[in-house]
Amino acid sequence: MKYVDEFRDRELGRVLAAQIVATVEPGRHYKVMEVCGGHTHTIYKYGIDDLLPENVELVHGPGCPVCVIPMGRVDDAIAIAKRPDVVFTCFGDMLRVPGGDETLLDAKAQGADVRMVYSPLDALRIARENPEREVVFLAIGFETTAPSTALTLVRAKRERLANFSVMCNHVLILPPLRALPESPDLRLDGFIGPGHVCTVIGARPFEFVPADYGKPVVISGFEPLDVLQSVHMVLRQVADGRAEVENQYTRVVPYDGNIAALRVMSEVFELRPHFEWRGLGFISQSGLRLSGAYADFDAELRYAVPGVRVADPKACQCGEVLKGVIKPWECKVFGTACTPERPIGTCMVSSEGACAAYYNYGRFARERVVV
Amino acid sequence: MTDARDTVSQASGVNAPICDPAGEHCITCSDEGVPMRVVAVHDDGTAICEGGIEVMVDLVAPVDRGDEVLVHAGTAIARVA
Repeated sequence: MKYVDEFRDRELGRVLAAQIVATVEPGRHYKVMEVCGGHTHTIYKYGIDDLLPENVELVHGPGCPVCVIPMGRVDDAIAIAKRPDVVFTCFGDMLRVPGGDETLLDAKAQGADVRMVYSPLDALRIARENPEREVVFLAIGFETTAPSTALTLVRAKRERLANFSVMCNHVLILPPLRALPESPDLRLDGFIGPGHVCTVIGARPFEFVPADYGKPVVISGFEPLDVLQSVHMVLRQVADGRAEVENQYTRVVPYDGNIAALRVMSEVFELRPHFEWRGLGFISQSGLRLSGAYADFDAELRYAVPGVRVADPKACQCGEVLKGVIKPWECKVFGTACTPERPIGTCMVSSEGACAAYYNYGRFARERVVV
Repeated sequence: MTDARDTVSQASGVNAPICDPAGEHCITCSDEGVPMRVVAVHDDGTAICEGGIEVMVDLVAPVDRGDEVLVHAGTAIARVA
């Protein structure tokens, strides 16, 4: 397949791995954070970390929107889903995310009309076809997904679809990223930037990382060679004593992003004063809600939701995993009490969660090493 | 009409949706994006891509048959060039 096969070429991968070895100083330890869960998935799936020298460590970042949803928000979603008049629609992964007591899948098993969709447009279609029912879409995701929700709401408003609403959980990638370079637990040498978020916001907003913290950022694609090349570009900057924003993913990412997407987002959404991130706490101006012009479609205004904060389970260390402070396998419940089939923490739910990615691709290799 | 997504859905069931951790990237997650080729363009801001998948193309308009776009959650967010 064009744009895919050529970025999975084995020989080119070996060449890049050799270039990385030639770039690093022996004896120096390098820590590079991949911000986005999509990269975490690629790294484990293709064994990228096995191709890197031992002194190059990849640290997983907070870029998985399922993983950062706090349990209280899941409970709010379940409260809406259980209303008899509601058809509750969401992406597949959200069905299995644990709330305080149960998941959306549990609510479905008890009779709630919860349906999995692949796009908010599917939810809109359900609303058109079921005018007697209230259709709610659980919107979640970073700047990559927010335009899709925004375009759907523009269509709903144009059609005056009164039985459609959105529970908005969209979050922004830059606010948590601002906290990371200052973390005393992490001494990062550079960042792999989230390629698809950047198709929307562009590479330019990441310029504060080299400007304020002196760390390189390379915006990366998601095929294995993309990630390898981006690691090399970060290490090359470190070796040269440079810190700048570079764009490895030029086949998709314009430096200034997608202006039409940013325009529709600014029309449909506004910043929340603060939003709670699982494991990271409240981060100001890090989440989106519907703007005044779209308030009629806001499920949180349409329905009473509990809005209760629920503390994370004590055994769960998703917060430390999300901040890159510990590796998935260092969590006390990893692979025992917490598995993808029965997750305790959100990082074990999504395929882009570091724990699930590691559980599915990495644990056997590690067991071999340990034994 | 059976499209690629129906096949995935039928094969996996609701407990193991398309975003099964052993599968490709999860659609819920922010950075899943799939390059697709446009096969038909409608006049309401949508287009049909290979596999019969309906995609909103407002953000990359205008598109023509044969264009490659990057699709995320039912929306083309970029052109692939």
